[in-house]
Amino acid sequence: MTSDPQSTANQRIVEDLVSRLRRRQLVGSRATALETLLVLRQVVSKARFSNIDQLVNIIRSVGRRLVDAQPKGLYILVTYISYSFLELEHSVGNTVRKVLHHIREEYHTANEQPAAESSFSIAKFVLQGQPRKQATIPSSESRVPLKENDPDDPDSFARVLKPVLMEAIQDVFDELETVYDNISKNAKDHIHSDEIILTLGMSKTVDSFLKAAAHYRNYTVIVAETAPSYGGREMAKSLSSAGISTFLVPDSSIYALMSRVNKVILGAHAILANGGMFATSGSLLAATAARSYSTPVVVCAGQFKLTPLWNLYHEYGALDFGDPSAVLCFDEGDLVDKVDVVNPYYDYVRPELLDVFITNYGDHPPSSIYRLLKETYDDEDNEL
Amino acid sequence: MDDFQIYKSYQRLLKNEDLSTPLAAILALTEMMEQSNAGTMFELLTELKGAAEALSRQSLNPIGLKAGCELFIEFITLFPHDAASFSELKTELIRQGQRYAEQALAYRAKIAELAFDFIKDDSVILTHSYSRVVLQTLLLAHKRKRISGEISGSNSTCECFSSHVLCFSVFVTEARPRGMGIKTAEMLTAAGIPCTVVLDSAVAYAIDKVDFVLMGSEAVVESGGLVNAVGSNQIAIIAKAANKPFYALAESYKFHRMFPLSQYDLPSHNPGVLSFPQTMSARARPASSGLPSKASSVLFDNGSPIRITQEDIARNNPDVDYTRPDLISLVFSDVGSLTPEGVSQYLVGMFAG
Repeated sequence: MTSDPQSTANQRIVEDLVSRLRRRQLVGSRATALETLLVLRQVVSKARFSNIDQLVNIIRSVGRRLVDAQPKGLYILVTYISYSFLELEHSVGNTVRKVLHHIREEYHTANEQPAAESSFSIAKFVLQGQPRKQATIPSSESRVPLKENDPDDPDSFARVLKPVLMEAIQDVFDELETVYDNISKNAKDHIHSDEIILTLGMSKTVDSFLKAAAHYRNYTVIVAETAPSYGGREMAKSLSSAGISTFLVPDSSIYALMSRVNKVILGAHAILANGGMFATSGSLLAATAARSYSTPVVVCAGQFKLTPLWNLYHEYGALDFGDPSAVLCFDEGDLVDKVDVVNPYYDYVRPELLDVFITNYGDHPPSSIYRLLKETYDDEDNEL
Repeated sequence: MDDFQIYKSYQRLLKNEDLSTPLAAILALTEMMEQSNAGTMFELLTELKGAAEALSRQSLNPIGLKAGCELFIEFITLFPHDAASFSELKTELIRQGQRYAEQALAYRAKIAELAFDFIKDDSVILTHSYSRVVLQTLLLAHKRKRISGEISGSNSTCECFSSHVLCFSVFVTEARPRGMGIKTAEMLTAAGIPCTVVLDSAVAYAIDKVDFVLMGSEAVVESGGLVNAVGSNQIAIIAKAANKPFYALAESYKFHRMFPLSQYDLPSHNPGVLSFPQTMSARARPASSGLPSKASSVLFDNGSPIRITQEDIARNNPDVDYTRPDLISLVFSDVGSLTPEGVSQYLVGMFAG
């Protein structure tokens, strides 16, 4: 970012978000995504640019700043892993990527050029197989021709493009606002009467999904406590207050109960490019138990959780560790210095263990996640 | 250009170490087009299809070249004509074919780049037979890791960054009957990568020490499965059983629109493969046939010794086998890292889109 006065204001809001992320005052992927979007909207509205590359660079630098701000617990241990794999609140990066994608899309429609058919080559022919989004029908408003790098009026480009960009950001915003409703839309098709559902952790998405289904069906939910965060207790409270018959069980009985369970419904923290996911620790246990009884595992997650990363190095989780005192408190005196206590936030669940992702844009098997990723983000943004 | 000639030019092109079979096939077809005197698109396509047919008839293992021919012919069929005359169009098509073969040489570097992220420090990799793209990937990773090791050597906690200890090691299967694995091992050792040749029959023994399998390919087919030097399938099965990732590397020109349901649907399968001799006694066994050196000999009831030579074994054994898509974790290609399902969607997009 340049150092003109406008961008100091920008810097301040970016830094504000950075510090809240660092202190974990802001948790939850949807909340983070929304906050990121607000910052980006501010940045774009104040930014000065005279061509698309400048704009993309501005957004990227903000994105990098935010992504870098993530708490990095075990940083020393893993210095040799490039930082992008340590991006913990994945939804920050995802939101930035999504905004960049929309901006490019708007730019291309605004800057409509006849498709260059003449340069058809075998390499391009091969690329026809590339998954891509159906071409959006350009709205038929009269457009002012875009002029990049206009020397007389360097702001003209920004002036013409900005309203469109604001609209694009608003679209992403609306999508995030309605994400729970859209996921829950088809809940009644996934849950049948008298079924027994197992879930764990406190996931707003799953919560609203189950409640939506409860309007139409009479079913039972078994919630595992999910130690040491005990998100399950919260979930059980919320579900039973909505009139769903709910059982709260300790995590250790997940396997024993699995034979009676019809379906496991989980939330996700991030969906990875191979169709696997990071989810509240305990999810791997539930998914593995489900596999041994061939119980279907359903994951409810908004598409903003799609992350263009492979789980390459840290098979056991997202390398994000919580407060160990939740597992073993300092009060337990003599034991504390004799053991290492880890309290990972997330499990990595392999794609083979999952059956379907229910997202705000339809249901997808893990194997087609890569395709959604290609449609949602631009390849060049995978590393911000 | 007759059938024999095109096969000869294909063979000549293959002598170029960098050129894989699909690209050689595309170039052979462009050479044929140069000499062809077809006057219409229809004639040209008929000639091309005939030539592709002839090529695959004469080649023992036609899968790779078929993928190349298929791609080129499909491209020509869909090429938007706006040339003034047919000969102009033909020159343009020839130019396109040659330019593609040139561009495609860079694809291996692209794939190596993608696969690089998956090679973590201290990993042990199993590979099979000889594949240029696997070799290039390993060499790139070796070079990169050494450099990054020298830069961050002192302050890093990773042992292997002290530039003498190397960052990954490789098991290569011998890959009988052609024994191409030995070539891979020689090239890796020459580059300073720790490398051991394992017997094809010792893969299950070695698999617990292996972190993942890196496999080249002759072709990737529509099911998302893989056609590669024989032995790949059993390695994939073993890797699956041991829960190790199995990564295939394939340039996009190896995507082939074929849907084999079993090993015996591959075009390289012929009645000779896996056949039984008619009767033991009726088998022609002239004393001079084969090399008796390594042959085991057993006395048959009529007193004459039975000899089975390496050549006998190679004769009725397959060259390539088919690996089912459910055994493959990912396919790295110049168009991105795809799941096997992704490959089939890709092929549909290319040929039906």
